[in-house]
Amino acid sequence: MSVLALLLAGPLQAWGASARFARRTTEHAPTKSGVLGLLAAAQGRERTDDLSDLAALRFGVRIDQRGTRIRDYQTAKHLDTGRSMPVSERFYLADAVFVAAVEGDDTLVNDLHRAVRNPVYLPYLGRRSCPPARPLDLGIHDGRTLEQVLKEEKWHAAGWYQRRLRDQPEVTLGLLIDAFPGDPGADSLRDLPLSFDPLHRRYALRGVRSDTVSVPNPCARRTTPPDHDPISALGGE
Amino acid sequence: MYLTRFRLNTARSGARKLLASPQAMHAAVMSSFPTLLPSDTSGPRVLWRVDRTSRAEVFLYIVSPPEPDLTHLVEQAGWSTQPEWQTHDYAPFLSRLARGDVWAFRLTANPVHSIRRKPGEPTKLTAHVTPRHQMGWLLSRQDAAGFRVVEKPVEQRRLPQGDEYELVVHNRQNRAFTKKTSKDGLVSLVTATFDGRLEVTDPDALRRTLTTGLGRAKAYGCGLMTLAPADSDR
Repeated sequence: MSVLALLLAGPLQAWGASARFARRTTEHAPTKSGVLGLLAAAQGRERTDDLSDLAALRFGVRIDQRGTRIRDYQTAKHLDTGRSMPVSERFYLADAVFVAAVEGDDTLVNDLHRAVRNPVYLPYLGRRSCPPARPLDLGIHDGRTLEQVLKEEKWHAAGWYQRRLRDQPEVTLGLLIDAFPGDPGADSLRDLPLSFDPLHRRYALRGVRSDTVSVPNPCARRTTPPDHDPISALGGE
Repeated sequence: MYLTRFRLNTARSGARKLLASPQAMHAAVMSSFPTLLPSDTSGPRVLWRVDRTSRAEVFLYIVSPPEPDLTHLVEQAGWSTQPEWQTHDYAPFLSRLARGDVWAFRLTANPVHSIRRKPGEPTKLTAHVTPRHQMGWLLSRQDAAGFRVVEKPVEQRRLPQGDEYELVVHNRQNRAFTKKTSKDGLVSLVTATFDGRLEVTDPDALRRTLTTGLGRAKAYGCGLMTLAPADSDR
C-alpha cells in the first residue's frame, strides 16, 4: 500500500456533496467525489468510464487553512439562444488550503501520481472555474498509512495565515478520514461516486470520521524572554 | 569589579534623552567614575546595558573596575527623594564560577562579521540581521568566551532547524545616529538581546567575558553579559 498526497490550494474552491439544482453549496473540506473526479480527469478517463477502482481507495483530507465561505449570485445567458439561464447561487471557499491523500494499491497510486504530474484534463478544485494556485503533487509515501501521512505532512497554510497564528507554536488541524465499516462515531455523507455519467450521476453513502492533528507552526514567535535578575546571582551580598 | 543597577525614571525627560541616545548614555555612565579619565584607554573598561522589562521598568546595569557614583544620573533620570542605586561587589561571585555550572544569561550585543561581496574588494564590516545569523554569531564565539549554550532535548524542539539551543533573540534593533568624529558623520548599529542558559566550560575565560565584554560597540551599551540563577524546571 502507498499513499499519494495532494495539495489543494487556490483562491476559490467548491466541494459540493449534496448540492443540487440552482443552489450549489460547498462542504467545508474537499469531498472524496471531487478529488476522485480530479484524479480520474488527470488520467484521462471519460465521464462514463468505470471508476470502481478509484472509489475503493481510502481517502482523507486535512484542513490546513479553513478559508471563508463566500456566496456568488450568478446570472447567465445561453450563448446560442440568448435565453436567460436559471439564476443560481454558488458558494465557494475563498483562500482555503487542504492536504488530501488517497491510499491504495501501489500500481494504481503510482499511476495516479504520474497522471497528476502529467494530466490529460486539467485539474480544478471542485468547480471548473477554480484552478489550483500551487502544484498539486506532494509526492508518494510508500509503506505508510493514510493517517501517518496526513499527520506528518508539514503545515501548508499561506505565510500570512501562519504569521497570524504566531502565538501558537503548534496548531491543531482538522482531519476528515474515511471511516472503517461499523465505526459508531462516523458521519455519513452521500459522497462515494459510483458513476460520473452526466446523464446518470450516482453516489453512495460514505462514512467520515473526524479527528484532529497538531503540526508545528514554522512562523511561531519565539518564547518571550524570561525575567533576568543578575543581582540575585550574587547571593545576597 | 562592581556590578551596579540603577532604575531609570522614564517619566523624566532626562531619562528619555539618555534612552534615546546611546551616546548620551555612554557619556553619563562614564561621568560616574571620578578616577577614570577619558584619555585613559589602557585599563579594563566599563560596560553597561539597558534592560527594558516594560515601559516603566527600565534598568541600567553597569560593570566597572572602580565603584561608580551615579548622583548626576539620579538628578537627571532618577527619583529625587529616593536616590537609589545598588552597587555590589562582583569579585566574590566571579571567583565562585566553576566549570559545569549552569546559569541563565542575558547579553545585548552588536553581532557583525566582515565580508567582501566580490573578490579583490576590501572587506566590510556588516551586521547580522536575522535571528538565525545573530544566534550563529553568538554560538561561534561561545567556546572562546568560556561557555556553551545549553542544547535543548530533542523532544522539546519545535522546529526541524533553528531550535537546537536554549536561546532566544529578542529586542532586535537597528539604530542610527550622528557622530562628529566618524567619517561620514553617521553611526549605524544593529543590536540584539540574547537570553538563554549556558554551561561554564572555562571559568577564567568566562570571567574575562563578563568583565571585558563580548563583541563590538561596547560604548553603545553592547557586550555586557550578566548571569542569573537558572530555573531547573525550564
